[in-house]
Amino acid sequence: MDDISSEDILLEEDESEMMHLTPAQLVDRMQETWINEIRAPEILPYKYEYVECLLEHINSMEENIETLQTASLVKVVHQLEIDRFRYIIASYLRTRLEKIELHVFHILKEEDTRIEKNELPYLSDGELQFAQEYKNSIEQHFQSVLSFWPGMPPDDWKNNPVVPNLDSFVFLKSKENVEGVIIDDSDENDIVDLKEGSQVILSYSKIADLLKNDKVSLL
Amino acid sequence: MLGEKAYSLVKELEDRQCEILPYNTDLVTEIATEIVHLYDQNHQDVRLEDSRTPGTSTNLMPTVRMRHAAIQRNQRCLLAYHYNRLRLLRQMRWEFGSILPTELKENLSAAENGWFNKYSTILGKYMRSIGENGGLNLAVDLKPPKALFIEVRCLVDYGKLELNDGTNVLLKKNSQHFLPRSECEELIRRGILQHIAN
Amino acid sequence: MIKLKIVLEHSYYPNYFAIEDIIATQEKAPCKFLVNIPKLGKLNAASEEDDLKAGTSLELPVWLVQQLASGRQPLVTIDLPKSYKPAYREILKADATAVDLHKFGLYFYELGCHIAQFDNQGDVREILVHTFTTRFKQLMDLADNIGLDPSAIDKLDMLERKLFKDGNLARNLLNNWLNNSIIPMGAATMVVNHRKRKRINVE
Repeated sequence: MDDISSEDILLEEDESEMMHLTPAQLVDRMQETWINEIRAPEILPYKYEYVECLLEHINSMEENIETLQTASLVKVVHQLEIDRFRYIIASYLRTRLEKIELHVFHILKEEDTRIEKNELPYLSDGELQFAQEYKNSIEQHFQSVLSFWPGMPPDDWKNNPVVPNLDSFVFLKSKENVEGVIIDDSDENDIVDLKEGSQVILSYSKIADLLKNDKVSLL
Repeated sequence: MLGEKAYSLVKELEDRQCEILPYNTDLVTEIATEIVHLYDQNHQDVRLEDSRTPGTSTNLMPTVRMRHAAIQRNQRCLLAYHYNRLRLLRQMRWEFGSILPTELKENLSAAENGWFNKYSTILGKYMRSIGENGGLNLAVDLKPPKALFIEVRCLVDYGKLELNDGTNVLLKKNSQHFLPRSECEELIRRGILQHIAN
Repeated sequence: MIKLKIVLEHSYYPNYFAIEDIIATQEKAPCKFLVNIPKLGKLNAASEEDDLKAGTSLELPVWLVQQLASGRQPLVTIDLPKSYKPAYREILKADATAVDLHKFGLYFYELGCHIAQFDNQGDVREILVHTFTTRFKQLMDLADNIGLDPSAIDKLDMLERKLFKDGNLARNLLNNWLNNSIIPMGAATMVVNHRKRKRINVE
């Protein structure tokens, strides 16, 4: 795709640290982010910069192929490339939306805790707004269902919401050498070292932090 | 009292998990009546219990506790029924689009119809918020693209379809076409075209 | 999308809205009343008294006995349902693969997790793990190679059936992919079902 947009795409990460990525690197990152999201039982931090940059890249590609002749092979190849990128982004965002809906009460609570602790949120602004409106719509529906209730209906259902099972097993690949991953909390000798490039299957809860810190990726 | 009605309401969902059955107004009303009845009885007994001198006559608290457990169970089944139906409605929004076939619409309660529209609205709003250029439609691009053009067979008499490049295609029943994938995906989802893969 | 659904469904934890949990807890467990329960005599079909007397033994749904047996003042003591009693546990220990688990209980594992709380010795917990691990290999073989013995599926409990269905689906997807990497686009499941029903209605 270099002939279309040969300039590097500027990525803002952590706002202070600027990073240059070629379009090919950007696509790789986005693809990894997307697969991690599909494989992880819980929602992961939203990768704003990849999504925005790739969408922008798609736009500039689309503008460029407008100028090409209808029947040219180059145009066909570029169009297919654009479709692939759009598919990855759409699938990534759909996956997140499904998790947000399924675990909405849990996710919003976690998000509140993060704000209290001054941590970065996991949801994008749009997702957060969607989550809140989705939650309200369910609560309103329940209210109308329970309108016959004498007095205030109890809200036991809030105590046992749908939550992800963090003990699910996942396949993962180590991106660098990681030492001392604890496998069994009750036995501190039960640890494993991950060599760069090694592939293992482990309980998600044991590697969630490694995943969020970009030390491993899911398969 | 042992939640049999509430149980049969939930059972409806187990057997047919991927289609929406007519909203069971009768059973829902009966369960509501049962809850109100248990609630009233408990209310009365708690008052009796409050005025009772300790050690005299019968202790009603165990009775109250049993009824309370039954109330909670009934409520759980009732909410689980409605909640899981909302999950089905959600899936219907993704599969049929924002306008449901009339026969299915008839299976929803008034409140469910309201929820469906509300869900459509907030979903649309979210999709428009993606990126900087007026959003991204997440209801398409459901399968990884392999080729730009695909062979499709038309399953109904649909009429004229105008493509992005301005050409028109007449979609007649049983006619076959070679069309841009991106422009027929939605019609395939809606069951108007069939994708012919060798 | 299919893959994601599997991931999410299997990251299942029993929750307030879980249909399988509600259905599993409607199963009955024997219990014995420790105190009189005034006015609720009608729960005991064998007696015509107004009150449910202390000492009465009844079979009641698990969701109810769970509530009554908990707290500082339990109203009942619980006995294990028969599929989890020593005699049945022995059968499972002898050869879990030969057992028709469906007959032991539709939701043998789901309910078992609730029942395990009433069993201080931990024998129920142990038999659940034993049963699952022993039967798992057979389940995998079944999912990989359907067509051998369809009646084998009837002998699975609901959790095993779900695993079988997903395993089998994954196997078919893999086979399709190996044979032909084009995944045809299709009409949405609900749309297809809706069509089918319409056709039946017309006929």
